[in-house]
Order: sequence, then structure tokens, then C-alpha cells
Amino acid sequence: MSDMSPESAGSAPGSGDAGLSQTIVFSDVSVVRDGRAALDRVSIGFEEPRIGIVGLNGSGKSTLLKCIVGLVAPTTGTVGVDGRDAVREARAVRRTTGLLFQNPDNQIVMPIVAEDLAFGLKNHGFSKAEIADGVAAGLDRLGIAGLAGRRIHELSGGEKQLVALAGVLAISPKTVLFDEPTAHLDLKNRNRLRDVLHALPEQAIVVSHDLDLLADFPRVVMIEAGRVVRDGSAAEVLANYREASR
Amino acid sequence: MIAGLARPGTSPLHRTAAGTKLAALAIAATTLFFVDDSRLLAVAGAVALALARSTGASFAEIGRDLKGPALVLAVLGLADWWLVDGATALVVVLRLGAIALLAHAVTATTTTAELSEVLERLFAPAERLGLLDAARAALTVTLAMRFVPLIAEEAREIREAQAARGLQGSVLALAVPLLVKVLVRAQDLADAIDARGFPPDRPTSDTEPKTNLRPGSP
Amino acid sequence: MTTRDISHVALMAAVIVALGLVPAIPLAAGVPITLQSMGVMLAGLVLGPKRGAAAVLVVVALVALGLPVLSGGRGGLGVFVGPTAGFLLGWILAAFVAGFLAQVLEATEKSTLVRTVQLTAAAIVGGIVVLYACGILWLAFFVKLGLAKAFMVSIVFVPGDVAKAIAAALITVKVRQAVAIERK
Repeated sequence: MSDMSPESAGSAPGSGDAGLSQTIVFSDVSVVRDGRAALDRVSIGFEEPRIGIVGLNGSGKSTLLKCIVGLVAPTTGTVGVDGRDAVREARAVRRTTGLLFQNPDNQIVMPIVAEDLAFGLKNHGFSKAEIADGVAAGLDRLGIAGLAGRRIHELSGGEKQLVALAGVLAISPKTVLFDEPTAHLDLKNRNRLRDVLHALPEQAIVVSHDLDLLADFPRVVMIEAGRVVRDGSAAEVLANYREASR
Repeated sequence: MIAGLARPGTSPLHRTAAGTKLAALAIAATTLFFVDDSRLLAVAGAVALALARSTGASFAEIGRDLKGPALVLAVLGLADWWLVDGATALVVVLRLGAIALLAHAVTATTTTAELSEVLERLFAPAERLGLLDAARAALTVTLAMRFVPLIAEEAREIREAQAARGLQGSVLALAVPLLVKVLVRAQDLADAIDARGFPPDRPTSDTEPKTNLRPGSP
Repeated sequence: MTTRDISHVALMAAVIVALGLVPAIPLAAGVPITLQSMGVMLAGLVLGPKRGAAAVLVVVALVALGLPVLSGGRGGLGVFVGPTAGFLLGWILAAFVAGFLAQVLEATEKSTLVRTVQLTAAAIVGGIVVLYACGILWLAFFVKLGLAKAFMVSIVFVPGDVAKAIAAALITVKVRQAVAIERK
């Protein structure tokens, strides 16, 4: 549990704290389903502290994220995370790479908040004491310590998303993948998540339709029909994306 | 919905081990089965009622809890009286009533957590024989508990939306969207469970597939 | 059991419980019925024999754990030592048989109408014939009515259950048109 990062102790947001990022490499990856290519010969590497991914619905953005943690196996090509194959060493990759899904209801597994945070820790073999500490620290970190004993179905959408994120962060990953994190949130909670994301020391790869969320990212990638079509600074790629979506 | 039927309290039954209570209930129920004397059954019923009361529940509370079973009992008693004879009806009603009260006493004093533990111990031999995976089974049951309130609410919302449009009571219009939503959710949920590292490694080598991977699997 | 099986089984179990919480609604003929036993048929028809039966088994486990998940808020050990225990445990076999027949019948391409009829048959054989056999056997024994009389008492619920079987078949056809799912 030595990786339990303190509340951004002096580290600038997304500064790539030593140890809190990974090198993710797609080598000529294609994912073909029912004759359709969800990803088409994608070769790209990610190592920046913040990477945004934009694209129309069905362009392959979610598939890309799922490939990183081995939820989808490429039809051809390989995905490596710090040298580990995402499919063959999925377990090790998932230990250091978290994924926050769009709908927190589909990600929260236990009826009570503290139990759900413990779920991830138990799966990765933490001891009972470490689990107790991890749950407390995980909730504290996002300012939701008060929700520990609450029942999930009593929480608001914004609270559920924070609980889901706390669960992902509890195992101290180096990278967190976000799949349209604000899609189900109202404005107030969207702002809250934006603040949390801004202060996150871990490396973050964020798929989002909410372009303002990605505005200060060092790098944004645009995906279209399973291919990377633009790759550059947030300013240029987002401007391009806005233009293309007119 | 996750709240069980157990009531908090400190009665002697509360303090008795769950396994003991369950075994005792099973033995008592089986024994009563072979008793045909209505006087003995009446005594058993009185003892059962006393036990139910000893848990701290009032007569009113017991009555409320056993409303459903009492109704079933009344119907069956009448059926027996009409189709067989009064003596049989009496025996049946007394026996079932006594058993229902005993079961109530156990349920009211045993928490879901305690019952879980007993189930776990009961299934341990099956697990050692490789017939059952306790972690997967436990997760499945807990997941069901976790999702009942959410799905119940979604069902309610669908019904309200229907009523607002003036279509009441179409079973299809309720069940189809509900099930479709559930099936789509099942796929995302499975991904989330996998992504969070389930299942935990077992001490011995684990050759079961941990993920649902097929090339290009969604 | 794969993770996907776990999620399907758990969610279907939750659906069965949730259907027990929906207040009795009138069917086409205006006869009010509770939907939980339809949920059991759906478990088999939609998920197949093994997963459908597993879903019902989860519901039975929830009852054993003392949760009020049966329609009317019933639950706890009393159900297992009461007259309806045969129906509760029979549900497991009912879902299995309905699912098994659905799987067997699905083997060849058919028109929607034929498919609906076949699924209705599967639901009736599993959800009524097999279920009532289990329930009536236990009832006859437990309540000392004897088979013939237990049969007479239970038969009154059959018309409602036939309506549920038809509904379950129609629902299954529509659901499978919307979502691709294998039967296991």
C-alpha cells in the first residue's frame, strides 16, 4: 500500500508524479466484430499525464479504453501497459489501471458504500487491515467519508459517481481511464468531478463529449470509424472536432 | 429491501447461535410432522407462541408478520374441513401454526449476516469438492440484493410513465423495457466486475477463466 | 460460471424479486394477478435452463437469508417449512424445464408466431405442469389433503398462470428481438 498517494501533496495536477503514470502502447490493433472494425489498425502510445479522447458515438472510443484493461481482446495486434500484455496479463494491468464507467449504477457492486470500496481491495489480495485503511482513505480522499455506511440506492447520481471513483482509486492505481464520466451528471456534479479530475495526481485518460473537461489537457486524440484521425494539443484537436461536428 | 426480517434485541434466542437455531427448527418441524394428536399439537403451539413472544415481539407484531401465512393456513384449513373432515383440519392448522411460530422466532432473532455464515459453512464441503465457487456464489447473491431496489424503482418509473400516457396495466409494456434495460446492464456490469479484478486469486492454482474474453468480444 | 453469467443471473434474480413488489395488475381479461411467477418463467425462457434455474436459486437463497422477497413481503425460514415450500422449490425446476424446452425449440429458424406458441408451451410445461407437480406433491403430503384434493385446491390458479405463460412468451420474443443473448 506504499503507493497510497496523499492528497496531491504539493504535486501540480497531472504533473506525472514519479510512479503515477504508465506507458500504454497500441501496436497495429484491430478489433473486428460481426464484420465491422470497431478499431482499425490503431498504433499509438500514451504516456502523458493527461490524454483526452474525442469522437462521435460508435467511433471506437470505449473499445479503445476496454482494450487497455483487457476487457476486449484485439483481433490483431497487441496492447501493452508498461510492457505487460493487456490480455495475457490482464490481472496485473487491472491492478495498476482503473476504469470508471459512464453509469455508476453499472459499476457499483455492493449494497453499502464501504463494502463496495472493499470489493476492489479484496479482489487484489489486500489484507483485512489494509482493506479497512484503504476504504477509509479512499472515501476521505474524495471528501465522502460520511457516506461509508450508506445504502447505494439512497444516494444521488453525483454521489454514486464519486463512490464509483473512490472504489477505483482505493487500490492506488497509476492510471485511471474515464469513459464519459460526466454523461449522467447534472451541472453541479459535473463541476465537482471536473475539480476532482483536475487535482488527480494519477495519470488520466478521459473519453468525453464534454469538451470543456479536456480543454487544458496536454494531448487530445480524435477517433473516427476506429482510426486515430487527429492527435495533438487540446487547442487544435478540439477546435477541429468542433468544426467537424458543425 | 436489503433489510431482513430480523429484529434487534437481546433475548435468549437472540444470543443463541444461528446454526443451533436452524438445526432445532428443522428437527422440531420434522418431529411435529409425525404428531397427530391435536392436544399435543396445541401444547406445541403454545410453546411456539411463547418462544415467539420471548424474542420481544408483541402479539400485534407477530400477528402482522404472520398475516400472509395465516391466510394460507385459513384457506387450507377450510379446504381440509370441507374435503376431508374437521379433525384433520384441526390437526393441520395446529401443526402448521406451531411451525410458523417457531420459524418466526428464529427469523426474528437471526440476522442476514449470521444466516450467510451458516450458508457458507453448509456449502464449504461442496466447494472443496469443486462443485461450487463460494466467491462467485456469494457475489451473485449480493449483487441481486444490491440491484433489487434499483430495478424495483425502474419498474415503478415505467409504470408511472405508462399511466401518464393513459396505458395502464400492460404487462408487456412494463416487462419488455425492464428486461431489455437489465440485459444491457448485465454486459456493462460484467465488464465492471472484471475490471475491478474479480475474482480474487485463490491460494491454489486457479485454472478457471477469469474473464469472458473472445477475440473482439464486446 | 463466467462473470457475464454472474451478472445475468444476479440481475434476473433481482427482476424476479422486483416483479413481486409491483402491485397486482389486471391482465387483458381484467383479472388481477401477481407477476412473480411470470418472472420465474422469464428467467428460464430468456436466460436458458442453467442460468434461469440459478437465478431462481438466488431468490430462494434470499428467502432463506430472511429477506422479504416473495410477493406480499414474505420470506424467511417459515416458507421452507410451510405448505407453499413445494411451489418455492419447484420454481427452480420450473425455470430449468422452461429454459431447456426453449433452448431445444429454438434450434431451427421459425416465424415469430410459431416461436411464440412454442415458448408458451415451454412456459406452460415448466411453469405450470412441473411446478404444480412439485407444489401439489408437497401440499398433499404436508396438509394431509391427499393428491386428488390438493390438486383440486391448486387448480384454481391455473388459468391465471396460463395467461402469465402467454405473456412471458410474448415478452421473451420481443426482448430477444432487442438484445442478442444466448441461452445457457
